[in-house]
Amino acid sequence: MSNHNWLMIPALIIPAALPAPACAVQYLTLEQAQQALFPWAAQFVRADVLITQEMKQRIEKSSGVRVRNTMQQVWRAGGGGKELGWFVLDEVIGKHEFITYAVALLPDGTVKGIDILDYRETHGSQIKNEKWRAQFVGKREGDAFRLDEDIKNISGATLSCNNITNGVKRIVATYREVMK
Amino acid sequence: MNAMLEIPEMQSASARELVRARPMLGTMVEISASGTDAVQIRKAVARAFAEIEIVHGLMSYQAADSDVSRINRDAFDAEVQVDAHTYRVLRAARLLAEASNGVFDISIAPQLARLGFLPKHADFPKGPCRGNWRDIVLLPDNRVRLACNLNIDLSGIAKGYAVDLAIRALADAGMVAGRVNAGGDLRVFGDAAQAVSVRAPHAHTHTIPLLELTHGAAATSAGYYSERLHQGQMVIPIIHPHSKLACASGYSVTVLAKDCMTADALTKVVYANPRGATAVLKSYKARALIVEHDAQSGACHIFDSQQAM
Repeated sequence: MSNHNWLMIPALIIPAALPAPACAVQYLTLEQAQQALFPWAAQFVRADVLITQEMKQRIEKSSGVRVRNTMQQVWRAGGGGKELGWFVLDEVIGKHEFITYAVALLPDGTVKGIDILDYRETHGSQIKNEKWRAQFVGKREGDAFRLDEDIKNISGATLSCNNITNGVKRIVATYREVMK
Repeated sequence: MNAMLEIPEMQSASARELVRARPMLGTMVEISASGTDAVQIRKAVARAFAEIEIVHGLMSYQAADSDVSRINRDAFDAEVQVDAHTYRVLRAARLLAEASNGVFDISIAPQLARLGFLPKHADFPKGPCRGNWRDIVLLPDNRVRLACNLNIDLSGIAKGYAVDLAIRALADAGMVAGRVNAGGDLRVFGDAAQAVSVRAPHAHTHTIPLLELTHGAAATSAGYYSERLHQGQMVIPIIHPHSKLACASGYSVTVLAKDCMTADALTKVVYANPRGATAVLKSYKARALIVEHDAQSGACHIFDSQQAM
């Protein structure tokens, strides 16, 4: 092992004050998501599901996931005189994040695909201080950092997607208990 | 006026970018692809997601029918045939274990399960042995045997491997640039340099722009979303294999390496033992950046393994 102790002196010290604009990404609009999940669908017919107290209990019992909304946004995807499946729009709220996603169900209720439409961080922030934004630690010679460019690549954003996994469970149960 | 009209045309002819995100590998996977043809780009992104799905199916600790679960259930009693992908990751894990003197060890699953980071499987053999990575025997033709009753977990390396496969899929599909980010395991290719930021260890929703990535991979390990309170201390799902104790949260480790599998695995080595990691980082031609919050001054300190004199 080396004697070098690279933890003695910091290569860079970033001051304490951090301004706080929010981090938000829109991956897909509603129409784009419908198109992405059902590329062959000719039309999407709104078929929202109102969830009564009795339905809520059944869904919660069968999925083990709490039902918070009384309305589930649903579209019926069809094309060529055939039912292609269901497009269900849903959102989950985590500790710091708010995610809108869509689940495509085949006519028999199996999950065909999941896509994230929107990802927003409730208290997100990125650094606006140009002076030290320019002095990146790992910056290579000749690399110019465009100050006006969004920072898209947050490494270490290991956010758990348990919320979405539970949301999908709830949607599959909603199909079984209510929509079928 | 003419010049102004030319600009948008040039942009549309050069490359267009498609970015998609899906919940996968227990996190959010974001894939970006740039190419010239919209249909080709869509296909490339779909292929890249499909590659990640394959890795998930083979190397998930949670799924009962994955290669990892089959090894954990059966490989002590008999040889288990695994997929070539799984075998490749197991071999890389072994080399990393050798290079790091066992600081990287995929046999720490029982400790992770005890802390609640991994589920408990009722059908896995009870009472795992006191062995370590040396007891995972890699036989020819993708066969695996356990010399003692171990439980393995590839979550410290498989995510990076999945990113590498997805990047290769994008390149094979003729994309001019691409980016795959699986919850902090990030790899890019193409012309443009990508600005990469990390979350501040003390305030998860604050990000710190850390580096520019033109090629290769950057992976970060930190406790932001995964930390748990254990015996009065916040701990994260990185176990020091020698002490068998979980590491404390409070700092983040970012490793730059040529591929994401190596970067992913090395973050665990550096996290567990930053001072001892210099040699292994050098042998993999990798670089580590540690971001640590100084509670006294409120500032963030960044340490760089390449500035060690």
